[in-house]
Amino acid sequence: MNWIEIITMLSAGIAMGLGAIGSGIGEGYAAGKAVEAASRQPGVSDKIMKTMLIGQAVAESTGIYSLVVALLLLFAAPKDVGLVKAMALLGAGFAMGFGAIGPGLGEGYAAGKGVEGIGRSPHEEGNVFRVMLIGQAVSESTGIYSLVVALLLIFVV
Amino acid sequence: MSDIGVIRTVSFDLGPLHIVFNPLTVIMTWIVIAVILILFIWFSRKRERIPGRRQAAVEMIIEMFDDLVAETIGKDHRRYLPLVLTIFIFVLFSNWTGVIPLLQEPTKDLNTPLGLALVVFLVTHFSGVKYNGIFKYLKSFFEPIAVLFPINVVGELGKFVALFFRLFGNIFGGSVIIWVAYTMLMPSWWTRWIMLALGPFMAAFFGLFVGLIQAFVFMMLSMTYIAVAKNQ
Repeated sequence: MNWIEIITMLSAGIAMGLGAIGSGIGEGYAAGKAVEAASRQPGVSDKIMKTMLIGQAVAESTGIYSLVVALLLLFAAPKDVGLVKAMALLGAGFAMGFGAIGPGLGEGYAAGKGVEGIGRSPHEEGNVFRVMLIGQAVSESTGIYSLVVALLLIFVV
Repeated sequence: MSDIGVIRTVSFDLGPLHIVFNPLTVIMTWIVIAVILILFIWFSRKRERIPGRRQAAVEMIIEMFDDLVAETIGKDHRRYLPLVLTIFIFVLFSNWTGVIPLLQEPTKDLNTPLGLALVVFLVTHFSGVKYNGIFKYLKSFFEPIAVLFPINVVGELGKFVALFFRLFGNIFGGSVIIWVAYTMLMPSWWTRWIMLALGPFMAAFFGLFVGLIQAFVFMMLSMTYIAVAKNQ
């Protein structure tokens, strides 16, 4: 085992470890808001459940990107490279790890507020749901930038 | 554990083009298409004015989607209903293929979600131009001020990159987790018993549940993107 493989493994750990923070907190926030809304309006708990699951699935996507980057670093990254490329691999882990925190938190917050809104006015479910999805898709764009930079660092630099 | 990134491809030259494809994905896609075709030809056979049980069930599903699309897209929603429903059914059946042993999800290959997202991208911008006129539609990229044009373009492209990476990442990640559990638990005899209980549970969660959620998210997001471009 040479030092480049060690750096790659460290980078994979950073990518997945930091990338799990945002999605975890965000999804937990959405779940908490769903419990609150369901206890206030038990009659519409199936609508609340549906919105919570979809919102969480979207909030999880940056965590999934971290997983993809970590697996690529472990199994698909080049092995015999110089110092510059090794640092690029480390940078890919940092980029995806830190970049996943913000969108995960933000999308989870949006999901939580969407669930709360449906608990407050269940008849406006369609509107609330649509606004939530669009907002989440926009707030994910920085996570996409992180993913693109990480992939560039792994395969192009 | 080094065979995870390996993709078996076939390539040939066609004039100046060098064409590479993954035969497994192509075969699996055809299997999915065949299953959907057979199922829905069977569903739509012997239709009658007073529906039987089978026809009533399918009509209920179609009506549910009709309401959903009408609520999201608004005017001329029937024009988009076939596309949206096709995307949902194709992605759903593709995601569920992985539960059957020896078969592989077509959506596990990045190219399948990429192709679907490309279709949605073209439809979105085509309907944006069609319903708003080309100048009004182009002007929407220069709002609120003209300096933001590059950011708007990147954000617009990022939406579709997120669309296909989300589907691919979820399905790929799920299959990798199942594969890792399998390779770690199978070698010694006493951990195989854990796999006996864990295997079906993981297949049900990552295959059936995540597959359904992701198919629904993909459909909802495609529909919402089309609606936003169309009803500006």
